[in-house]
Amino acid sequence: MLAAVLTSFRQSVIFVCYHFRLLCIKLVLHRKTIYEKAFLCGRKAIGTLVIRDLTRKITSKLFLVNKIMATNRTGAAQRPNGATQGKICQFKLVLLGESAVGKSSLVLRFVKGQFHEYQESTIGAAFLTQTICLDDTTVKFEIWDTAGQERYHSLAPMYYRGAQAAIVVYDITNQDTFGRAKTWVKELQRQASPTIVIALAGNKQDLANKRMVEYEEAQTYADENGLLFMETSAKTAMNVNDIFLAIAKKLPKNEQTSGQGGSAQGRRLAEGDAGAKAPGNCCK
Amino acid sequence: MMVPLLKHPEMNFGAITFFARQHKEDMCGSNGLPLTPNSIIIYGRAQKLKTIKSPYLCQYLDIIRGKHERTIVVCQYCGVPLSNYLEKKKFTLDGIKRIAYQILHGLKLLHERNIVHRNLSCENILLQGENIKMFNYGLYYLTDNAKLVSFPVVQLLYAAPEIYLDGIHNSLPNPAVDVWAVGIILIELILDKSLWSSLKVGQRIRKILSLLQSNSSVFERIAREHNAYEEYLNVPEDLKEMIESVLNIDPTKRPTCEELLRNKIFSQFQTEQDSGDKELKNFEIFTIHELYHWWQLAGGDVLQELKKQGLIRSSPPILSLPHLVLIEGNILGQERNPATLYDPRVVQMPLDTLYQRFENIPLSSFYPLIRIKSDIISQFEPQPYDATGLPLIIKERDPEYQFHRIILFRRLLHGYPFTKDLIRKEAEKDIPPLLRGEIWAALLDIKCDYKSRYMKLDKYSITPTDRQIEVDIPRCHQYNELLSSTEGHKKLKRILKAWVFQNSKYVYWQGLDSLTAPFLYLNFNDEAKAFACLSAFIPKFLYKFFLKDNSPVIEEYLAKFSQLIAFHDPTLANHLYEINFYPQLFAIPWFLTLFSHVFPLYKILHLWDKVLLANSSFSLHIGLSVLTQLRDRLLSSGFNECILLFSDLPEVDIEKSVVLSTETFKATPTSITAREHDNDEYRTKDEYDITGVTLSDLKRERYPRVSARDVIDMIRTNPRKILVIDIRNMVQFNRCCIINSINIPFSSVSFTENKIENVGSNSAILEHSKDKVVVVVGDEETDLELVFN
Repeated sequence: MLAAVLTSFRQSVIFVCYHFRLLCIKLVLHRKTIYEKAFLCGRKAIGTLVIRDLTRKITSKLFLVNKIMATNRTGAAQRPNGATQGKICQFKLVLLGESAVGKSSLVLRFVKGQFHEYQESTIGAAFLTQTICLDDTTVKFEIWDTAGQERYHSLAPMYYRGAQAAIVVYDITNQDTFGRAKTWVKELQRQASPTIVIALAGNKQDLANKRMVEYEEAQTYADENGLLFMETSAKTAMNVNDIFLAIAKKLPKNEQTSGQGGSAQGRRLAEGDAGAKAPGNCCK
Repeated sequence: MMVPLLKHPEMNFGAITFFARQHKEDMCGSNGLPLTPNSIIIYGRAQKLKTIKSPYLCQYLDIIRGKHERTIVVCQYCGVPLSNYLEKKKFTLDGIKRIAYQILHGLKLLHERNIVHRNLSCENILLQGENIKMFNYGLYYLTDNAKLVSFPVVQLLYAAPEIYLDGIHNSLPNPAVDVWAVGIILIELILDKSLWSSLKVGQRIRKILSLLQSNSSVFERIAREHNAYEEYLNVPEDLKEMIESVLNIDPTKRPTCEELLRNKIFSQFQTEQDSGDKELKNFEIFTIHELYHWWQLAGGDVLQELKKQGLIRSSPPILSLPHLVLIEGNILGQERNPATLYDPRVVQMPLDTLYQRFENIPLSSFYPLIRIKSDIISQFEPQPYDATGLPLIIKERDPEYQFHRIILFRRLLHGYPFTKDLIRKEAEKDIPPLLRGEIWAALLDIKCDYKSRYMKLDKYSITPTDRQIEVDIPRCHQYNELLSSTEGHKKLKRILKAWVFQNSKYVYWQGLDSLTAPFLYLNFNDEAKAFACLSAFIPKFLYKFFLKDNSPVIEEYLAKFSQLIAFHDPTLANHLYEINFYPQLFAIPWFLTLFSHVFPLYKILHLWDKVLLANSSFSLHIGLSVLTQLRDRLLSSGFNECILLFSDLPEVDIEKSVVLSTETFKATPTSITAREHDNDEYRTKDEYDITGVTLSDLKRERYPRVSARDVIDMIRTNPRKILVIDIRNMVQFNRCCIINSINIPFSSVSFTENKIENVGSNSAILEHSKDKVVVVVGDEETDLELVFN
């Protein structure tokens, strides 16, 4: 029997995934809250949220399923439609870290569910957005993905100024990148808004057999500095959505709600005066 | 009319195919990236073979990668294999000596380039008339000593005994094995027999190994075994001696090809050959490379031919399913595909379609007149082939058009540097893709000593930039086979290191890799030229962009970009200004890498064809053309949508961009894009130039300043297109002014409301001249910021 399934390896993958879909829907029906949200945010949300719940149980299949789900996704940012009851929060998030640690890959995985082995280097910076649902709030991330090379450092303040959250990324297979991550954290603590939520991401977890930075070491460092910490893998999608979710949870969400457009963030960035504004006031 | 030049017997080619070894699933290199597929490594290595040119070697033309690591090698193929003559036509001793000499000559050339043939046999020596050409001599080299394929590269019968002793897969490339093979070939030719032809594979190998134990002469022993002792006795002593020395069991005692060529028995050929071996190369009207290119354009398809001849067969995938797949991805129980073994068949490519296509090309077209053609004659002479008005893409794929262009450019390039002006003039029409590398080098004024200059540079010492270069290279245009090959990575690294070494006042900025990529791609076999092109390109088009602190240069460039948008498209400029969408946020990679980081290679090539003919301000115009193409979407979007649009740049029609940017480039007064930081070497200065504008002023000014000279030029050449407004006070205006200018004294206008009527009596004129260039004239004290707010 086992052999029979394995002979048609490809088919079996698809088969499994259809089962997952069915499971998803069943599970959703049991949990009404999620169901509502998922319904509002469209299919993709079903994918991300529910798959996450499921995969806690069946972690080894996470990669395959995410891959399939990723191909089903269509647009980039999904907008909640008008019928939303909950709040809409916008957060500016910046990614920092040494070059080639996987900043762009993390964003690409989070926003589009894609992964490119040969992700091009980022020059200057790139901007992307993604919306996720958290309980009854819709959180929209405006993500600035910065260039990693030391020389582009002078541009960085332009991007992290006024950011409510930052992910500092290092590569677990390279000790130097961890050192660089620490300097980024220091700089953020000194220069950025005092309430900024900083997450530390040890990327390339799929290469754990080549690990040079121990999990405990990074965890201790993160605890000492009050950072969120996760080891991620943009390649296998491990912890990618989780780290963004964790940030979203930690960010303060005030009561004011209004559907103001996104250009305000841009203006802030360009004028560079956002640091002076009340930092806790992220929801508009 | 016939095309005798095209039908030269040497102008033929064929193809062989094999599979490169496949990597196991999910393998990663030390940097965490997937391993480079072996077929790509082969692809990169094979490029070197294309440069080998000798009368005794078939030229390599192309490598094509098919599905599942299939590799197809296209190579010149003309003549009949020697093996076909055996036992049919006995060669004279002189003939054999000539063949021996020619083989050794070819081998010497290969050995000089550290290439070991190891595949030598009577099968792949092709005879045409009196001369031979060796075929398939690069297989061992391009498969990295057969490491990249799953079959051994060896000719059983011709393999020297040490190959078997060392094990077929382990032996290091040793040129002595080729010398041994020459000996066996000579014996076959002299005895006029294929050796041990009736024996099975195992027995043949045993026979060769048995030679190890023979104490007497190897030649004699082989002759006796084939009942040809008498023929052996008839061989002249000197030839016999030579063969004996070649078939020495100990590889270290075998003479090298060079030593053999000096042997007295070849004295009759030595003089004949060596005189022609000068530096001076004859001009060839076209080469087999061009023929192959035209053949492809005329519809030739190697893959299709191989399929037709049955060399490529597809089997239903169900048959290649494994029996068991483990969860880790290991595959078990898959039968070995017989196609992964070596297939010695060669398929000759039919050239008929090309001949038909070129039927009407007169002989005179092969000899285009260049300098001595008078204008009167050329007026009446019909164009050789009219393709004006066709889109570039079509022109590049039109075999006849490319024929004329290549014939012409080859001549012009042959005359470089004396034909520099002509090359430039022709390049303005278009550039044939096949010769693009050379033409670019000519446009960039590369001097002929570029090779020795490059050789002197340090490309290997460890520097602090190394890590950055190393992480950038595996991400730089990796969809391209050449640039993703191991050879490509090595070359790119050397070029970048050499550049950093040579330009001590500049530093490596990310993006320099992308900038180098097009040059390396075009000059893959001439690293020094790629480097020379890069070194000439940067001072001309990206002067000071790679300074350690380049921000003033870039800021100025971006400010000029904003002003250029305002000059050509005020509506768009105002919109972008209102939503705070500054070029700093999106245009840095555009200009720092001259779009080489933004577009795929094939687009960059077309773009740069024009860039090289223009000056450093051209990329501003390209930027403008990109915005123009996205204009509607930009105008209807807010900040976030705009920036998202550029983070993932949508498809841009590059030909349209080229046309648009050339137009605006021509229509823009030079002073508008003139920059303080531009390279003085490439611009002419005059007293009317604008000077002394500080960067902060420049950034404040939303509309560009124009120099007096440009205004005068515009008034002279196109007075209807220009409207001059003088904002000085009446007194000054009446004292002297530009003819036809309108006086709107600055103090008379109130700016409380942003309406054109406020300007006063002349508002109607302004209203009606919306498509004109409006020049505002002020005096020295005028604060420009106030005026434009």
